[in-house]
Amino acid sequence: MNSGTQLWLFAMSVGASALGGMLGMASGIFIVPILTIFGHIDIRSAIGASIVSVIACSCSSAAPFLKARLTNVRLAIVLETATTAGALSGVLLAGAIPRSYLFLIFGVILLLSAHQMLAKRHDPALTSTSLRPAVGIWRLDSSYPDRALGRDIAYRVERLQIGMLLMYFAGLISALLGIGSGVLKVPAMDTALRLPIKVSSATSNFMICVTAAASAGAYLVRGYIVAPIAGPVALGSVVGAILGARFLLSFSNNRIRLLFAATLGVLAVGMFLAAFGTGLYRGTA
Amino acid sequence: MSRNKSKPVRIESLLAAVLNVGTWLASVLIGAGLVLSLFNERMPFRTGPQVVNIGIGLFVLLPILRVILMLTIFVRERTYQFAAAAVLVLLTILAGVAIGILYK
Repeated sequence: MNSGTQLWLFAMSVGASALGGMLGMASGIFIVPILTIFGHIDIRSAIGASIVSVIACSCSSAAPFLKARLTNVRLAIVLETATTAGALSGVLLAGAIPRSYLFLIFGVILLLSAHQMLAKRHDPALTSTSLRPAVGIWRLDSSYPDRALGRDIAYRVERLQIGMLLMYFAGLISALLGIGSGVLKVPAMDTALRLPIKVSSATSNFMICVTAAASAGAYLVRGYIVAPIAGPVALGSVVGAILGARFLLSFSNNRIRLLFAATLGVLAVGMFLAAFGTGLYRGTA
Repeated sequence: MSRNKSKPVRIESLLAAVLNVGTWLASVLIGAGLVLSLFNERMPFRTGPQVVNIGIGLFVLLPILRVILMLTIFVRERTYQFAAAAVLVLLTILAGVAIGILYK
């Protein structure tokens, strides 16, 4: 691996992470397809590099949310028992699944993400009508300061069991593909737990690093985290995340969302082609 | 809802500080390692990649440190159900490493 390649990896990760950050997305979903399709890097090393960058992004962007009291730390640790359990299953599966299946699953997740990017996201807290008490010993209900209203907004955590189940699958996909799997966390947070969007983004971002650490340890000892690839990608992602946060775009910017959905669609096609061993991809399949 | 507002703020600023410092340290290590590998490509020992590896290792350790920190806070607060969740998360992460070693 020469220094030119490392520079390319760094620049690509800055770009992917900055663009992802503008829309509040993790960069992992772009990094693996770009590394494999355009960089001809083995998919397992690409996933290893991506999982480190996912940790890096989550850790580097957590502080402002924590300071703004948007992160529900208690809910995070409870849900992390489910995401890390999922990650553990993902690690077991990852060793057994052939590379072509990894491409296939990744393609499907890219398509789902594209769909989610186009779908409108409603703030569940605004439509919540249920007033069921919180589950058992878990005192998870909390409040967050709303700057626009200038006061604290109380919220309830609902349907914890369904949320945990969805989080398990989010953790599994995260470990298998080296992504943050926001695509599965958003439904868990919105449909099951019914958290206010600000709390849900902050808490899911906070959880990503611990979920990713559960699989990163395994990837590290299996030798899939290669310093000359993972180093520039992780550093580039942190730089990109900082840049992206500066230019945070509103979620209602339809043209950019359309462009992103189209990009995800194109990458999905690339991953499907790679899965069936045709055309673009020339790495080890 | 307004019960004990000072405590959570303290947890949160502590966690924010640890994550911030850790990210900076790991990023600087990786950056320094990459710059070193640009210069010592012809040298007999490979310092650069090793420094990059330490930075990557720190990134992987950082979430584990974060959970350990949360565990100590929950124990001090006597919110044992959350402390138990933190222990479970730590054990799961360790199990992940063990699986990585056992099934290559």
